[in-house]
Amino acid sequence: MKKVSILLVGIIAILSLAACSGGEGETASGSDVIELTLWNDWTEDRPENTAYKNMVEKFNEQHDDIEVVIEAIPHDQYETKLRTQAAGNQLPDMFRVWPGARLAPLAEGGATLSLDPIKDNWEGVIPEGIMKDYQFDGVQYAIPGNISETSLIFYHKDMVKDAGFEEFPKTYEELKSLITALNEAGTTPISLGNKAIWPLQSVYISTIADRFTGSDFLPNALSGEGSFENEQFINSMKVIEELANMKAFNGDMNTIDEAQARSEFNAGNAAMHFAGSWAIGPVLDTVENPDKIGVAPFPSFAGGDGDPAKIAGVAGGGIALNSDLSEEEQEAAFEFLKFFYSDEMYQQLVEANIIVPADVEMGDDIPQVFQEANKLAQGGLAPVYDATLSPELTDIINNGLQAITLGEKTPEELAKEMQEQVEKEQ
Amino acid sequence: MHAVGRRRGAIILGLLPALLIYVIFAILPILQSFYYSVMEWDGFSDMTYVGLANFKEVFADPLFWNSVKNNIYVVLASVFGQVPIALFIALLLNRKLKGLKIFRTIGFLPVVLSTVVISLTWSLIYNSEDGLINELLRSVGLESWALNWLGDTNLAMIAVCITVIWQFVGLYLIIFLAALQNVPEEVLEAAKMDGASEWTTTWKIIVPMIWDTIIVAVILCIAGSLKTFDLIYVMTHGGPSHSTEVMALYMFNETFSQLQYGYGSAVSVLIFFFSLLLIYLVNKIFGKKMI
Repeated sequence: MKKVSILLVGIIAILSLAACSGGEGETASGSDVIELTLWNDWTEDRPENTAYKNMVEKFNEQHDDIEVVIEAIPHDQYETKLRTQAAGNQLPDMFRVWPGARLAPLAEGGATLSLDPIKDNWEGVIPEGIMKDYQFDGVQYAIPGNISETSLIFYHKDMVKDAGFEEFPKTYEELKSLITALNEAGTTPISLGNKAIWPLQSVYISTIADRFTGSDFLPNALSGEGSFENEQFINSMKVIEELANMKAFNGDMNTIDEAQARSEFNAGNAAMHFAGSWAIGPVLDTVENPDKIGVAPFPSFAGGDGDPAKIAGVAGGGIALNSDLSEEEQEAAFEFLKFFYSDEMYQQLVEANIIVPADVEMGDDIPQVFQEANKLAQGGLAPVYDATLSPELTDIINNGLQAITLGEKTPEELAKEMQEQVEKEQ
Repeated sequence: MHAVGRRRGAIILGLLPALLIYVIFAILPILQSFYYSVMEWDGFSDMTYVGLANFKEVFADPLFWNSVKNNIYVVLASVFGQVPIALFIALLLNRKLKGLKIFRTIGFLPVVLSTVVISLTWSLIYNSEDGLINELLRSVGLESWALNWLGDTNLAMIAVCITVIWQFVGLYLIIFLAALQNVPEEVLEAAKMDGASEWTTTWKIIVPMIWDTIIVAVILCIAGSLKTFDLIYVMTHGGPSHSTEVMALYMFNETFSQLQYGYGSAVSVLIFFFSLLLIYLVNKIFGKKMI
């Protein structure tokens, strides 16, 4: 009897000890093979993710002494999990990170390792202007793998034609008449899935606001030189209000997510879908005839102060390293990064219709849609809102834009709310 | 005496592992939450002690009160939806019916289904464009009754509550059925011999005899409703425009999307006290110390 109890207590003690030490034992298990865990969001089956996974597999094949272990977490949960683990000081050895404001707390908290020692490797390959997206206080924390344009308009060429438009509208006024024409024909003009509340902000406002305010507005408003109650910024949010009022979107826009909205577009249930370059692959792979899909930049807005050639975009695909890595592990991780962010991968990405920061040659087999989207990046990149704003501000504008589509908030009220938050943060 | 002492020792020793697990995984995290709630902390950098500032801020945030209000809706829907419906069905099923087991299994099915599956299924049912409900309404000519169930701020909470009720009715159904089957046969027979109608038997004998079980069900209901999170998170993300945000969701958003761990902890502490208060009230109302 007593023995059994002691045994039980012993088991519990061991179990609880094991629970407390979680994570540390990972690398100690192999004798001379250095094991590095890599967290990412490559769960969806798309060519981009296959390219990444291929590179990791190749690396493992060529290196007997290093083993990179992939752990994939669905995109929408990824950052939450990362932040939770970071708070518990339980980050993996390597992890996918997003640039700008989303990298800042990790860098500031000392959770990530500086890549300055190996930065020279990409000199002349990746322009400094793009490298900068993954810097914090001048220190490099990740290498850009791709460029994510967040504001592209995908459209069904024949549907636009049937509505009486020979070419895709260049101005907002023309876009509005296209929307009216489509509505009259009983076609849903724009397929939108804003349940997760970021698309209206990241895809729509990032570029629309830039067209109105110019690219200096965002940094100025954040530093206190300007204000979110800027008339041009309010005008940009009025566009969302107007589009919602003229029934430009599907009725269930607030209850379906972005992927669902995209499949509605792919199935031909809507004439247009506004999304980022992440949608190029999934759209081209799913639609029956890729030649019938066009891609266009956002229209220009009369009276705007911004450069209409610009498109919102940001570097992406970076992998940060855990600052707790031992020296040996650091060396191994550096070697992995050099291997991973190589010409070979960028080439594979281009073939997978991903816009890359490095200058790579493009063959004739690259689809038209991709080449056009790639061209759009040449006009310059406008800042993406959720890559620049603090989490609180992002939350306010995300929810606020949704409230605007429901008629529960006016653009002026949202602007005021954002300004109040900025003042609180300063 | 000696034997009793020894047995008590063995009992304590036997309880120890469970106690240890309970302390580590239940008591300690609660205490930690209390500790974090008086700190300002973004999860990465050093914590700073801010006293009750977080609580002051929570109380001043209209979004918090909005989430409290929505949470009360869930509690009300559960207590006045799940319990009576489950009791009603249990009373119906508590007969010598053929195929009783099948009905019981059907009723219990939603309880064993994953919440995520339920949420996604109901999201599809509620979809305003091609959801089952609207398609049905349209097919019988009630076009104007087809609404944007989850996309309308006035309807979303009702729609979510209906799903919550649907999900857990089965659980209370099983609890009530078990209680009903423990009502002694002799008592019912005696009532029958005295000429009591079925109605009288039900209300004067059966229900009072399982009253304790009903109170336990109500308390379980309240505790469960205050923790509601996953279903709403998957169905609506708390939206549109915060209209279905409950306390746990508010806490989650503040903590993990906005990186305010201290603030989020303060909200958790409030949820904790709120639950205690409600359960205390229920005990008080029913005049019994159940839990």
